[in-house]
Amino acid sequence: MKPAPFDLVRPREIAAAVALLAAAGDGAKVMAGGQSFGPMLNLRLATPSLVVDISGIAALKTAREEPDAVVYGALVTHADVEDGRVPDAGAHLLKRVASGIAYRAVRNRGTMGGSLCHADPAADWVNALSALGAQVEIAGPSGRRWLALQEFLTGALSVALGEGDLLVAVRVPKVPASARFGYVKHCRKVGEFAHAVGALLVDPAAGTARALMGAIDAPPLVLADARDLFGGRIDADFAARFDAAAAAAALHEAGVIDPVDRHVHVEVLRRAVRQADGLFSPDTRSAA
Amino acid sequence: MNAPIRVSGAARTLALTLNGRAVAAEVEPRTNLADFVRDTLDATGTHIGCEHGVCGACTVLVDGEPARACLSFAAACAGAQVTTIEGLDDDAVTAELRAAFNREHALQCGFCTPGMLVSSRDLVLRLAEPDEARIRLGLAGNLCRCTGYAGIVKAVASVIADRRARGIAAGTAPRPLGPVGARAGAGAEAAASLKTPEAVRATPAPPARAADFTPAHSFAQSFDLAFPKARVFALFADIREVAACLPGAVVDEMPDLEHVVGGMKVKLGPISTTFRGTARVTRNADTFSGVILGAGGDGRSATQGEICYRVLDGAMPGTARVELTVGYTLKGPLAQFGRPGLVREVAGRLIADFAAHLDARLKGAPAPAATDGGLNPLRLLLSLLAQRLKALFGR
Repeated sequence: MKPAPFDLVRPREIAAAVALLAAAGDGAKVMAGGQSFGPMLNLRLATPSLVVDISGIAALKTAREEPDAVVYGALVTHADVEDGRVPDAGAHLLKRVASGIAYRAVRNRGTMGGSLCHADPAADWVNALSALGAQVEIAGPSGRRWLALQEFLTGALSVALGEGDLLVAVRVPKVPASARFGYVKHCRKVGEFAHAVGALLVDPAAGTARALMGAIDAPPLVLADARDLFGGRIDADFAARFDAAAAAAALHEAGVIDPVDRHVHVEVLRRAVRQADGLFSPDTRSAA
Repeated sequence: MNAPIRVSGAARTLALTLNGRAVAAEVEPRTNLADFVRDTLDATGTHIGCEHGVCGACTVLVDGEPARACLSFAAACAGAQVTTIEGLDDDAVTAELRAAFNREHALQCGFCTPGMLVSSRDLVLRLAEPDEARIRLGLAGNLCRCTGYAGIVKAVASVIADRRARGIAAGTAPRPLGPVGARAGAGAEAAASLKTPEAVRATPAPPARAADFTPAHSFAQSFDLAFPKARVFALFADIREVAACLPGAVVDEMPDLEHVVGGMKVKLGPISTTFRGTARVTRNADTFSGVILGAGGDGRSATQGEICYRVLDGAMPGTARVELTVGYTLKGPLAQFGRPGLVREVAGRLIADFAAHLDARLKGAPAPAATDGGLNPLRLLLSLLAQRLKALFGR
């Protein structure tokens, strides 16, 4: 349970980290808060020759508001979101998700960027930020680029980062005041990775809905236009028309072949729909 | 540029503050904070349980906030303020908690208690009310196998109630963004000074017997090719050709037509290893089917697996459908990470790549350039490991 020996370097600048990663190639791994990577090192599942610890890069510990979005630096921690040290993309919205991630001692070091790069299909940021249509900014040897989170997540534990690439920021569109967000996950024990995640971003005033079913052993299934789950339209009574069969069919098409798995995922989405319909309150926090 | 700080595999001096006292000591990069304070600084009040972030026994305060000492490498906490249970002797909240733990019988063997007190102290500071559900949620990351938690929850609730009654409000202290304990890094290091990472060391595994093999897990996959059945089946006869379509696969030797000695580089997220082993390949030309039965290991974990394939006529004339049934058993450290669903997902992606490479091969294209990922059931087995981390933390 002790990691295999590795070298560690703590750059201060993004450019230095990119240069180190590009030069070191396959044997180098990035570590942010280390709350997912640490266990893999301790269990010797990962045996890199060089760990590039980016936790000392101040430029990644930022957050800024744009007119229609909030941009979080990669090193913003779950606790930073939970405690409101950074602006929320919606009223208490990310705060509620953050407070349900793992345990407080993990949230104090675990980061939003690290979680997205680890890309566990069951992780909270992977799912919640996909549901909200987030983008990620990547710094690499040839400059910076933005990528939709859905394009960034290429598979289970797999992301679109090339050699020398570093995720530096996450841009989350602001949720309009008329919209509501339901986010429910199913865990057998508090703090563990979810067995199923359901999310719904619905705006009855605009007649739009975006649904997500996650923790399906693959990147989350995102229905960018989820009106078909609600009889083809979104209005004030959308929740009453939730079409479980349509959700199950979408899961089946996405490769969820086990009927019990489908049932659990559809039920969790149904609860997210109910939450978006009104059970949500700022106090609905998942964990202390 | 400032002088680079690079903690190499060899120990370097690390300075931080432990319980209010400046300390400096040699530390290896791989040493976690818990081992550093216990073994190097002789502060053994911090306990180590699971070493992967689940049990909470090692929870300490880093810059005043709870953090897992087993998941915080000491070298990444240079300059941080670390407080262990030894440093909380004179802390007012902890003093109240100690009395409450005593009163409510909130400990028995004491193993979880240092971490439990650190997490409880955090709850006392942050929770506005002594709400039992919130306290239980807040303590979910600290496992106790003696008490059943009832006494611990009562103790924490009583301290919260008492402090709120005395007019002490809940709240979080201001702090900078980012992981607690992470100070500014050092100046840029000239990338050129980095040594090239060593090649993955191939650990030869003793050839394992595959007799009486019953796979623990199995799944089926299929893909289509725009070539006639006979041509596809003929290609499968050439093991080296097939291996060339599997990124990461290496055929070292073929002692005879039925046996292969080789390896497979496996890569999944941060996991990278090489399995070495042997396989026996049999074919049945009458049924256009075959079986590859293999066994291997990476020095620590061992796997045994079989791939049954069958080439059928495709939906269109002149096309073929390949059906694969993959069965495997994994033993050793990797075995605890099994998540069959994840294996299927990775298998789907890999087999799609494999099919594309086969297609190119059949069209006469040269062998595909080796890509980063391995592709092969052996690699799939590896993806199992990703799983267990799931139960841990993640996020």
